[in-house]
Amino acid sequence: MLPLVSLTLFLPLVGAVLILCLPKPTARTVHGIAIATAALTLVSALAVWLQGVSGAGFSQVEELQWMPAIGAAYRVGVDGISLPLVLLSAVLFLVALIYASSLRDRPRAYVALILLLETTAIGTFTALDGILFYVFFEVSLVSMYFMIAGWGHEDRQRAALMFFIYTLLGSLPLLLAILGLYLGSPDPTFDMRAWIANPPLQGAAAMWALIAMLITFAVKIPAIPVHTWLPAAHVQAPTVGSVILAGIMLKFGTYGLVRFALQMTPDAFREAGVVVLIFGVVSAIYGAFAALAQTDLKRLVAYTSVNHMGYVIVGVAVAALTLDPTIRATALDGAVLQMFSHGLVTGALFLLVGMIQERAHTREMGEFGGLLKTVPLLGWSFVLAAFASLGLPGLAHFPAEFQIFLATLGTAPVAVVVILGIAIIAGTFLKALRETFLGETQERWSKMPDLSARELCALAPLLVLTVATGVAPSWVLDIIHRTTSALVL
Amino acid sequence: MNAVLLPILPPLIAALAVLMLRRWPPALALAGATLSLTGSLWLLARVAGGQTETLLMPGLPDMPLRLVGVPLTALLAVAVATVGTFVLIHAVGYMKRESGQARFYAVMSLFLAAMQSLVLAGDWILLLAAWELIGLCSYLLIGFWFQRPEAANAATRAFLYTRSADLGLYVAIFMLIGSAGTSEIAASLEGGGSASIAVGLLLLLAAMGKSAQVPLQDWLMRAMAGPTPVSALLHSATLVAAGAILLIRSAPLLASEALFAIGLVGGITTVAAGVVALAERDLKRLLAASTASQYGLMLIALGAGVPLAALLHLLAHAAIKSSLFLAAGDFQHARGDTAFDRLKGVGRARPWAFAGFALAALALAGIPPLSGFFSKDAVIAAALSAQGAVWLAPLALAGTLLTGAYMARALRLLWQGSGDTRPVAGSVWMRVGIWGLVVPAAGLGLAFAPIKAALDPSAPEAVGTGAIMLGLFAAIGGLALGWLVPAQRLLGPVYRWAESGLVVAGGLTAWIGRPAMAVARGGERLEQRLYLAVLGFGRANLAVAHWVRVWGERGIDGLIFALVAAVRALGARARTLQSGLIHHSLAISAVATAVILVILFLASISF
Repeated sequence: MLPLVSLTLFLPLVGAVLILCLPKPTARTVHGIAIATAALTLVSALAVWLQGVSGAGFSQVEELQWMPAIGAAYRVGVDGISLPLVLLSAVLFLVALIYASSLRDRPRAYVALILLLETTAIGTFTALDGILFYVFFEVSLVSMYFMIAGWGHEDRQRAALMFFIYTLLGSLPLLLAILGLYLGSPDPTFDMRAWIANPPLQGAAAMWALIAMLITFAVKIPAIPVHTWLPAAHVQAPTVGSVILAGIMLKFGTYGLVRFALQMTPDAFREAGVVVLIFGVVSAIYGAFAALAQTDLKRLVAYTSVNHMGYVIVGVAVAALTLDPTIRATALDGAVLQMFSHGLVTGALFLLVGMIQERAHTREMGEFGGLLKTVPLLGWSFVLAAFASLGLPGLAHFPAEFQIFLATLGTAPVAVVVILGIAIIAGTFLKALRETFLGETQERWSKMPDLSARELCALAPLLVLTVATGVAPSWVLDIIHRTTSALVL
Repeated sequence: MNAVLLPILPPLIAALAVLMLRRWPPALALAGATLSLTGSLWLLARVAGGQTETLLMPGLPDMPLRLVGVPLTALLAVAVATVGTFVLIHAVGYMKRESGQARFYAVMSLFLAAMQSLVLAGDWILLLAAWELIGLCSYLLIGFWFQRPEAANAATRAFLYTRSADLGLYVAIFMLIGSAGTSEIAASLEGGGSASIAVGLLLLLAAMGKSAQVPLQDWLMRAMAGPTPVSALLHSATLVAAGAILLIRSAPLLASEALFAIGLVGGITTVAAGVVALAERDLKRLLAASTASQYGLMLIALGAGVPLAALLHLLAHAAIKSSLFLAAGDFQHARGDTAFDRLKGVGRARPWAFAGFALAALALAGIPPLSGFFSKDAVIAAALSAQGAVWLAPLALAGTLLTGAYMARALRLLWQGSGDTRPVAGSVWMRVGIWGLVVPAAGLGLAFAPIKAALDPSAPEAVGTGAIMLGLFAAIGGLALGWLVPAQRLLGPVYRWAESGLVVAGGLTAWIGRPAMAVARGGERLEQRLYLAVLGFGRANLAVAHWVRVWGERGIDGLIFALVAAVRALGARARTLQSGLIHHSLAISAVATAVILVILFLASISF
């Protein structure tokens, strides 16, 4: 049988190497190979999806010896928490490459970086070995750094550096925590399954490891107050960079929060759960208010990410705090689905903002008005994505947020104030829609072209999946729930 | 196919078909609504005997979505479909010359489907979903002419007001699911009054948003910027009705404290909105204020503990208000406006529409034997029989009096004087729409006895001659006052304030909107400071890095060198990029990682 997980993981890397090896390829060839590679990766990810996951533990595990002396090995596999994120990565990278296919400025390096990033992203989600995870987690930074620095907007180099150093320094604590887990294991190993099955650290050591992990993941998620790199990086990043950064890379943080912090130091997390919960609530509400104040569409979407990721933190904290396994499953179902939905919806929003910027060379809401009339397809897509982001039922975020809030009320009733966020985000998006798309059409935008076929191809999968996840969330939730309901902490 | 789906699927399919085909939008939408009406009647016939039709659909884990057909829900479905069908017939004429037909009919159909899902919902999640979706549809419909600033603003305001109030429904539902352990509505209701006061108040908050109760009323008046058939639909059986329907359906679990609050909110609204209606200078805005006032009466009945009276008034009002709005749409086309100044004497020019309007107006005022007489009588009787009758009954009677007064005033303004009437296109469609609803508005009283029997044969009936006489007296008195005395004289000093919509100290915009924006801007300033602080931190580290390097040159060992490099890397953020720096620090962190790995490796073999 094919090692499907490894295939999904390394296909993009093979594509990247192929592109770099070709002697003087045309831009067309480069983009063609890249899109074909990403499409194959998606097919492979779908095959993994169809194989599905069993209840407890990991499925489709593939293992190879690597450094037996220190207990490190090549170990990959999926469960209900990582599989949706693998599928999300495969989808988002494909649409990102489709969107990027008009690029003529050093396309070879650009798509190679994107493909490298895809491998590291899928690797981060599928790695079952501490060292392997850390390598993927770190290498992803390099690709993103070069993407922002090489293809970003005006002030890109400073933003790229800030992004890189912020998260690199942020990840050193994780390395310490991983080493701690390793040294704490009775039979030293980097096998994450062992760490999950028998959390190696207890007491103060576990708490220190947890704190180290929380620092790393808080930077990555990002949570208040270590989120300042996010708007800076997004504003300068090229559109595809923003899509991947918000759609995939923020999930490294929330995924780590579940996989490492919750599963490997569960008792410490339970003790510190209230603190994490408070950070989540504050992040969500603060992010919502900060978004409300923005006039730059891209910064606005960036801050709504802080809000949405805040809900994920709340969900994970609630899962740690509750003693009722049903509520824990509900909270984690919501948190994982929220990661998936956020990737789809925010990916679509960043694409749309990029399309607007490409046409108008500005992202200031105040400069537009009545765009719904001039560019109806783009406009209605934005309306759909905006309502999805503000949590309208029938669209992707609703089932996720509903479950998170439901579990929150059952566990820490006070924390349900976080729900104010959905009203503030509604205000944020309605204001943006009002100023950008409604009202009188300005003369200078009257010649703006509507979506091209390429843009439509990039956008449509995300919007279709957004509706599909909202109307019938069970196609994703079934996979997630199989793992979360069997989770023992 | 399960009969519960019959009212929902046809409009849903119609909406999708209109969007995809982009052809024959009115025909498809009308077909959807008509089939929905047929389906609702079929469902009602099946469940009238007391049996239940249930359909489970996949939803969230352990919380399936559920549709239930019981007499109450089926009856509401019939009301929604009836109003929807005739409003769409009217719209064929009204919207004849508009562009954007596909969008209009698709959203109207979606709206019907969402509303049918709401009334037939058997679990809280589906109810919440439908509740929010009708909010979306009304946003799209109120903002139909989105290029007009007032329509764009009105749509935004309507969605924001209702969404904010919806938070009450969210939290109430979380509490109900938490206490019942299931999302099924029936299971929550079986608890019977056990739910906390908080749940009742939260449900009331949600209902206040949708049903435009004081102080959340002003979005409703501004929503008049949308097309008139939209208003007719929103105000009668759909959006605004959702609030009252929520409370009617959850009536068994409302605690007495919550009932008190509901009655109080309803009482205040019926009088305040009635006064505003009396002072209005625009026909559609008068009707909008009247809607809030009538829903106030329904809340009084609910607060009095007689949801049946609220339901009867809801049904009567649905038919009455939709026919009033549809007639107003006819007048609007005849004069190009809905301000009373422009509508002088339009009644004589459009006799068919005016006759329908007048009949509905008398029904709303509560003149026998029209439907409003019976429903209002039930409300007043409920108020008189309630625990808080001392203050509920006067408020209900004042609301009734005001209803008579503003409807008579509208009739007078429409009948007297003269103006330029334009020929109206699509007149026949509009006439059919109006009269299709005027007939039930007039005759629905006949159906009340069987409805009562089907819903709750054992319900206490609090009808006495006292209530009838009081109600009739208030209605006739109101009509006479409104016809004979100008509103300015009638309201005296309150008139100016009422004209501005009885706004207290700037209204919600001043109380919530501006503070929220102020907090947001404060957050943005904090963001700037944080950003600068991080930069400052970087600069400080740069200084430290420099200092440590001086020491490092004097020969500190390699481990500290790695630390220096990390610190220097942090500091470098403040600088502009120099090429090579990143590679440098990357190399160091790679080396450092390798060193640590080697140490680990050595450690592991030494074990």
